[in-house]
Amino acid sequence: MTVAEVASLSPAAEKIRSQLSATPLSDRVEVRDLDLPTLEVSPADWPALARHLRDAPESRFDLFLDLGGVDNLKRPGAGTRFEAVVHLLALSRGEHLRVKVLLPDADQPALPSVADVWPAADWFEREAYDLFGFDFPGHPNLRRLLCHDAFVGHALRKDYAPGQRWFFSEADMRMPAWALEPEERGHFETQTLSVGPSHPATHGIIHLVARLDADKIIRAETQIGYLHRCFEKMAETHTWNQVIPFADRLNYVSAMINGVGYVKTVEKMLGVEVPERGVLVRTILSEFSRIMDHCVCIGANLVDIGALTNFWYLYQPREGIYGLLEACCGARLTVSYVRVGGLAIDVPEDFVARCRGLLESIPKFLDDVDRLVTNNRIVRHRLQGTGVVSKEQAIAWGMTGPMLRASGVPYDVRRARPYDFYDRFDWDVPVAQDGDNLARYLVRMEEMRQSLSIIRQALEIFPEKGPVNSSDWHVVLPPKDAVYHDMESLIYHFKLIMEGIRVPAGERYDWIEAANGELGFYAIATGAGGPYRLKVRPPCFPNMAAFEKIIIGGTVSDAVATLGTLNIIAGELDR
Amino acid sequence: MSGVIDVSVRDPSRLTLAQRLYLPEIFSGMRVTIRHFLRNLFALRNLPTILYPEQRRDYSGRFRGKHILKTREDGTLKCVACYMCQQACPAECITIVAGEHPKIAYEKYPVVFDIDMLRCVFCGFCVDACPKDAIWMTGDYELAFFNRQEAVFGIDKLVERPGEKVKDGYGYRPYYPGDGTVPPTDASAAPVIPGDGEREKLREECLLPVYRPSAPGIGT
Repeated sequence: MTVAEVASLSPAAEKIRSQLSATPLSDRVEVRDLDLPTLEVSPADWPALARHLRDAPESRFDLFLDLGGVDNLKRPGAGTRFEAVVHLLALSRGEHLRVKVLLPDADQPALPSVADVWPAADWFEREAYDLFGFDFPGHPNLRRLLCHDAFVGHALRKDYAPGQRWFFSEADMRMPAWALEPEERGHFETQTLSVGPSHPATHGIIHLVARLDADKIIRAETQIGYLHRCFEKMAETHTWNQVIPFADRLNYVSAMINGVGYVKTVEKMLGVEVPERGVLVRTILSEFSRIMDHCVCIGANLVDIGALTNFWYLYQPREGIYGLLEACCGARLTVSYVRVGGLAIDVPEDFVARCRGLLESIPKFLDDVDRLVTNNRIVRHRLQGTGVVSKEQAIAWGMTGPMLRASGVPYDVRRARPYDFYDRFDWDVPVAQDGDNLARYLVRMEEMRQSLSIIRQALEIFPEKGPVNSSDWHVVLPPKDAVYHDMESLIYHFKLIMEGIRVPAGERYDWIEAANGELGFYAIATGAGGPYRLKVRPPCFPNMAAFEKIIIGGTVSDAVATLGTLNIIAGELDR
Repeated sequence: MSGVIDVSVRDPSRLTLAQRLYLPEIFSGMRVTIRHFLRNLFALRNLPTILYPEQRRDYSGRFRGKHILKTREDGTLKCVACYMCQQACPAECITIVAGEHPKIAYEKYPVVFDIDMLRCVFCGFCVDACPKDAIWMTGDYELAFFNRQEAVFGIDKLVERPGEKVKDGYGYRPYYPGDGTVPPTDASAAPVIPGDGEREKLREECLLPVYRPSAPGIGT
């Protein structure tokens, strides 16, 4: 590295470089300054670097956010064919860091597992093994995660043709090896219980295999992937805007937030600014979606533990919010409302009035649920002290969002790195200390009230008139009357539809606070009309990975209550 | 910006006497449910549920339901088979086969315009993509089929016949700055054709398909 390059590093990257210079790794780790400070390392040095990043007092990157592979086969100017891209977060400072492990062997890409450094890496490594064929020596349970066992090939490699089919029969279905052998515990035999894949308590298709000693779970393993459709591969074969309807189907309970997260990543790559009115519409509808998401989570959770009435009280606000979304964009669930550079269409005239109406009606339902549930002795007995996740565990398992906050860590992206206008609003981050199911319920209840307060403040500064879209016609479709009458506009329109938005070559990781945690999108552009690679950091994925560890020692009925408070959305989990 | 609030239960191991007795909480819960019950009983109009299909939900004029192919006043399709909706469709559900008009050299029209309703994700991208105001969506969401072939809607099922009522009304349509609903008046005007009345004459001669309420398919 030349002196000039060193001098051009940003302060954050410079800090990391100086920290590393004191270690033996200094000359084997390349520090680069992209959108995030980025370290490049060889597989052999990766475990040592991982330990340093986690443990060194000045770095303390304690939360493992994401690991995804990249296949550089068709990317001009890239070094090695495969690289594993890791995103880390230092919770105490709210700083993000990217580490790229460059895999020199294109035939048998391998890198050592870091599941012993960050337990959260476990499932992310399995996913990379599954979709890219990376080998992770030292991984405790390296097998396919999202694709089924009869799948041939690795779907996200660039030489894997999309649209191939592999048929899965019952004979291919693999149970964990330990589940097939009976286990004697003294005089008594244990029992293996299979819950799901299709089971009313699993909310989505999830397979839980549990070993029971009487009613206590002593070992468990979950299998996911039943809703896997390889969103990331689909994104690679479509244009930037065409990904929006797919992004809606990640967390379909709060579809708006996914779209906002995705387009914000692309807008940052393009350097496009969205007008204030457009940003506020996004914020208001995102916060309503958050309320909706929490309503569904709490409502379904309470149904699972037998408190059915609350489900109806919590679904009424949701109905009102769906009505609002439908009036804005024409669909209730999969809204596809955002576009890169703004929104599909301006909000209707009665938007503010409708929002204010909802702000009036929603708290009443929350109060009703509060009165029915919060101090109810049965609910307390079911939720208190069950599904406990300590602060240290929550961080080690890579949890974010309400799960992390219920364990006593006040990390919220909207506060740690305020995007849009969140720094202008006056609101509190609710935390709880116990980390049990009750704490997660309380945090979500309070978050809904905080969201209402954010919406109220956003409506106060909401401009009555004004554009919602950027006026950059290289990004946003020109207005229709111009397209009909003006040749220039028609050409812009044609280019955007037929070729897609030209996003300059580069990469970006951008993250927002979704309803169940930090939702990140890591996008690589090569200057073409669509993404070269799009990796989602799904917030409920680490939660689900931890599920089989949380429920050990509890009863099956506690496991059902715990699954509800994890807020698993299969569309996002399986992608 | 503001602070962090702790919402955890102060003394988690201990319930208050009222909570332990259980009955007071039962009664306070009953008060909530009985209030809802009475309100629902005496104000049926405000019930949040609807009695579908007798009663139908009011959707906005932006609802993204079944598509409709707009026609000119003379009953010919506005679509010029430019393939832009087919290209914009993320679900790849639109199939267009363009036909060239035998006499009017620059006039293209769709011979086939199929939308596979089982693939369609109702995102409205086709409406956004259309440069001729030729495809809109309607409020029709009742799409049920007995087999997959039935789900592929051709022109005869998609076309708007002038004068015929659109089932469930118009839905999502192109975005016009202003009130967001009304297209500019001349957007639907027929393209200028050489000579007065020549277009009509040519059309009569060459049989551009014309869609009328009574004709189920392509007619003249």
